[in-house]
Order: sequence, then C-alpha cells, then structure tokens
Amino acid sequence: MNITLRAFIKKELTQTLRDGKMRALLFGAPIIQMTIFGLALTTEIKNIKLAAFSQPGDAMFERVTEGFYSSGWFARAAHAAVEDPFELIASGRADAVLIAPDGGLARSSERGDGKMQLLVDASNATKARAVEAYSKSIIAAAAVREYGASGEPAIQFDVRVLYNPAMESSMFLVPGVMGMLVCLITIILTAMSLTREREIGTFETIVSAPLSNAEVLLGKTVPYVVLGIADAALVVAAGYLIFGVPVRGPLWQLALVALAFVINTVSIGTFISTVSKNQQQAMLGGFMFLFPAILMSGVMYPVENMPGAVIAAAYLDPLMYFVRLLRNIMLKGGDSYVLWSNLGALLFMAAFTAALAYKRFRQTLN
Amino acid sequence: MSGACILEVKGLSIKFGDFTAVDNVSFCVDRGEIFGFLGANGAGKTTTIRMLCGLLAPTSGSALVGGLGFEDGGLGIKKIVGYMSQKFTLYNDLTVGENLDFAAGLRKLEPAYAKKRRKELFELIAFNKPLSSMVSSLPGGIKQELALAAAMLHDPEIIFLDEPTSGVAPASRARFWALIRRITGLGKTVIVTTHYMDEAEQCGRIALMRAGRLIALGSPEELKKSAFSGPMAELDFKGTEAASFISGLEKARGLLELSPHGMRWHAAFKDKAAMDAALAALPASASAALIRPSLEDVFIRLVEGAER
Repeated sequence: MNITLRAFIKKELTQTLRDGKMRALLFGAPIIQMTIFGLALTTEIKNIKLAAFSQPGDAMFERVTEGFYSSGWFARAAHAAVEDPFELIASGRADAVLIAPDGGLARSSERGDGKMQLLVDASNATKARAVEAYSKSIIAAAAVREYGASGEPAIQFDVRVLYNPAMESSMFLVPGVMGMLVCLITIILTAMSLTREREIGTFETIVSAPLSNAEVLLGKTVPYVVLGIADAALVVAAGYLIFGVPVRGPLWQLALVALAFVINTVSIGTFISTVSKNQQQAMLGGFMFLFPAILMSGVMYPVENMPGAVIAAAYLDPLMYFVRLLRNIMLKGGDSYVLWSNLGALLFMAAFTAALAYKRFRQTLN
Repeated sequence: MSGACILEVKGLSIKFGDFTAVDNVSFCVDRGEIFGFLGANGAGKTTTIRMLCGLLAPTSGSALVGGLGFEDGGLGIKKIVGYMSQKFTLYNDLTVGENLDFAAGLRKLEPAYAKKRRKELFELIAFNKPLSSMVSSLPGGIKQELALAAAMLHDPEIIFLDEPTSGVAPASRARFWALIRRITGLGKTVIVTTHYMDEAEQCGRIALMRAGRLIALGSPEELKKSAFSGPMAELDFKGTEAASFISGLEKARGLLELSPHGMRWHAAFKDKAAMDAALAALPASASAALIRPSLEDVFIRLVEGAER
C-alpha cells in the first residue's frame, strides 16, 4: 500500500480510537441501540384487551372467544353491548376486537362465505404482530376442536390492521437500525475530522506536502471507510450474538453492500465538510442530512406508505437502498434481483457523490 | 545575480477576486540567508510565503524557488521546501513519534530514512523526551521546535516559518532563534515572518510589507540608515509640560518623525541643526538623549510614510 495512505490510516485510527467520546460513539452507541431494539424484539405481550361482538346465541363464536380468554394472552375489555368497535380501539379501551359474522359463526363456516373479523390496533407494531400470531394459533386450535383434525371447513377470519398497515416487526427494525448507525457514524466522523483539521490548522501542513488532491482526499476518507465497515461488522455481530438476528445471505454480499454504502456516506461527509466553517457547522450539516435520510429510508415507516413526492425523494436516499439490501441479505437470504438492482443504484450514487465530493474538495483547497 | 539566488521573485502579484493580496513584489534570497518578513496582519506576508511553498499559484509575475516554477502545480516546490504554518502543525492528541511518523508518511519517506532523520533532528533541537510523550503535554517552545523538526524531516533546502514564535515564552523564543541560526549554518535558507522587532533584528535582511506591497528591503542597519538620515533623540518628561511641548514640537522645522514610546517620545530630525533648534525650548525638567533608531522606529516611519 502507498506509504502516505498507510500513514493516514494509522493516524486517523489512532486519533479516533484514542478519544473516549469517539470510542463511545463507535462502539458504545451501537451496542446500546441494539440492546434497546433487541429487548423490544423479545418482549412477550400479555394482557391484550380483547372485546368480542356477536349476535345472541352464537355458541360456536362464544367457544372461540372463550379460547382467546383462556389462552392467558388476552383479557376481557369492558364495553357496552352495542358500541362502535372502532371507537373502542380509538379510545384505547381495547387493543383488539373480535366480530362474529352475520348469522352466526357456525352457519357461515359451513357455507364457507362468512368470516370472523379481528380489528387490531397496530399503533404498537410489536403488540399487533403478537395479536395476529396468537389469534392464528387460537383459531387453528378452535378449528381442530370444532371439526376434527382435518379442520374442514376451517374457521376463517379476516384480520384488519389499523393505524400501521405495514405492521413492521422488530426483527425487521434491526437491519434498519444497523443501516442508520453506520450512516450516522461515517457521515459525522468524516465531516468532523476534515473540518477539525481545517479549523485547527493542521490541514495546511497536509496540503504543503507534495501530494495530489486525490491522495489528500483518499488519505482523509479511506480511514473512515475502514471504520465504517468495522462498525457495520460490529453491529451485525452484536445483532447475531446477543439477539439472534440472522444473517441468512452470504457475508461477502453484506461486505460489498456495506462498502458501497460507506463510500456514499463518506463522500457526503466530505461534501458537508467543504461547506462547513467549523465543527459545529459540520455536525449540524450532518444531522440536516441524517434526519430526512433516516425518515425516508424505511427504517421506521415503510416507504410505500409515503406521499408520492416523498417516495421520489426516498429514491435519492442511499440509506433506503442500504436498508433494503440489509433486510434482503440478512432476513431473506439475499434475493439476487433485489441485491443487484439496489446495489447497482447504490454504486451509481457512490460514483456520483464521490465525484461531487472530489470536485468540491479540490475547489476548497486553495 | 540570479545564479546566487535560491529564491527569485519578480513582479509577483496574487489576487483573490478583486482583492490584491500581494502587489508586484520582487526580491531575491541568497542560499544560507535568514530572510525576514515584517508587517502588520493582512500585509501579505503569509500569502507570499504560501505562494513560495507551492500552495498558491501567482496571478501574475514569476517566482523561482530553488530554480523551480509552478508548471507542475507547485509539486516540485513542495518537495524541496519545508513549511511551518502559523497555526498548529502538530496533532495534540498524538505522541511525538506518531506525529513524526505521519509527517514522514506525508513526504513518502522510507521508514529507515525517516528514523535516521528523526535522530539527527532530535540532536539538532536537543530533544530528550520519550517518543511516546503526548504532544499536548509539551511546553509551547518545545512544541514549536518539534514542529520545525517535522517540517525538516525531508531535509528541505528552504524552510519557511510563518510566525514560529507567536505565543511562546521569551526564553523559548531566544532558543528558537538560536536554532534558526544553527540551521542556516548548515547551509539551509530560512524565510521567517514575525511581529517581534527584536526577532527582525536577527535577520540578515528584512522585507517590510504593507497592504500587499514591499515598501522596504535591506539589512536592519540599511533600513535604519535609509529611514533616518539625521539624528534621533529620546525625550523623557518628568513634569506635566510634555503635552504642550510635544504639540509645539510637531510643527518644528526639520522634524522627520515623532512617536510615543511608553512614557517617552522619539523624535527624528533631518540634521543636527534642526534638532538643536527644535529642542532649545525643552523644559528644564525634561531630558533629551541621542539614541540609535530601533527597527520599531523604522517600521513606524516607513509604514506611515507609505500611508501618507
């Protein structure tokens, strides 16, 4: 490796790792965040408030409902006999409402056209996911009880998820959090490190050495690409070891995707440093990029549910591609169409942001 | 003449937009010389130095640094000069060894060569602390000597020092200047900017800059002679007559310069006759002594002369 690049990597890593605050940001924050999300992931939901609505004399529905209450997961929600089920959920007095089909459950099951309805409050996605899973197993057990092992005709029910139709699960959140952390750390670190050198004046010494602009830029950015990838590896390992978040796809795909993403963020960090006069501005600039990038990335809210203009903007968000790729590789085992189309987009953006960063960087040297 | 010059600047101008930072400057520096730039902040000293280090290209005019121009974007110049900027040049959060390793890496020095140079330079600056000392723990003077060593790691012919002693204790300043003389003794050329008049006195020649222009150039003695052809008196007032006497003196015939120096006044005259006539009315409580003008007097006279 080039002597200069090696010297830069050694220097930047030494400085970053020697600083206690930086160490906390690099290694402490990811573990804490992962722990918080990991705990959300493993919390068992109990005492779900369930209300049931049926016509009088629907014995089969009564038995199914009793199955819910005796499972230990559900508790009776207090309500009047005639009340709007939606109102019950909106007011928070019930987390889920079970509604019998017209004419009774037994008759509609035999006909095969009527369905029992379950309304679920998914403003808390984890809870909603639990309600759905518990309900399915209770209904399946009820079907076996009513009709025998064949379960024919089975009792069907129609789940309507309210407030959060995409119903994100925490498992789904973890790769998103990984993407978010790598994004935050690489952008802030790169922008701060470059601005800091300019601010304290050591940058003058670097540019007085007989180096090309590209060498200076690579020297100041490659160390943060290395740190970013190391951090991504740390987060994946923490997710896997502590909470069992799987990596179903090959690791080389994960590494390649992380590299493509980190080139984007380090370039963006460099760009931010060229428009910042001091470290505070660089920090602010970093967050000005990060907040919309995180909101549009699909980490917390599905991109598909956003208004058209925001979806269009989300397609310019490297974090969106990265999170998609992480979920695809880690949870689904790496579908090759998803991989190459999103990786292609990420690499294209990397080329663009790197070129832009290089251009701005060169302009601000003199 | 150009054969002897290691640095040759002709009609050099640097513009930033409409602002002319350096305006038609010409000078020549000999090998082994201590060449000083004196001037207020914003006079163009740092800009001139940055240009000569290959960091800025001249807008017009020419400069040859060790015989090299700007055809390659300053890369050739950067190889043969050492530059210590007026801001921090060492990293406080790295050790002495780590700082020098990075400086060697920037210059692409082979590790064995860098180690040998480091040893030589430690001897030169008499550095005896461990390599593992954090730079932040070193006193200001030692830091600056170390910064100089880092700037000289690649054995440059010409060394540019931009206000190397600002913020350094007086004893350390004297030590640093002894070091500069040792370096020029080795045949290196040192170009230095300073605010301190006592430091300027130690330069072989001084270039006085104001508003981007070179307003005087010469050895300290030459500058004093050219600025003050006649005698200079230092007036020391004990009583309260000072104000009225000074306002009268300001109108005296043959007065070249009158400036306050603390409690005293320096008055320069065209010749001895003019001085005797002007000081005849000096109050009894006041005393006048004939003095040699200091560089500060020269600076005031030349800079104000340029402003008139």
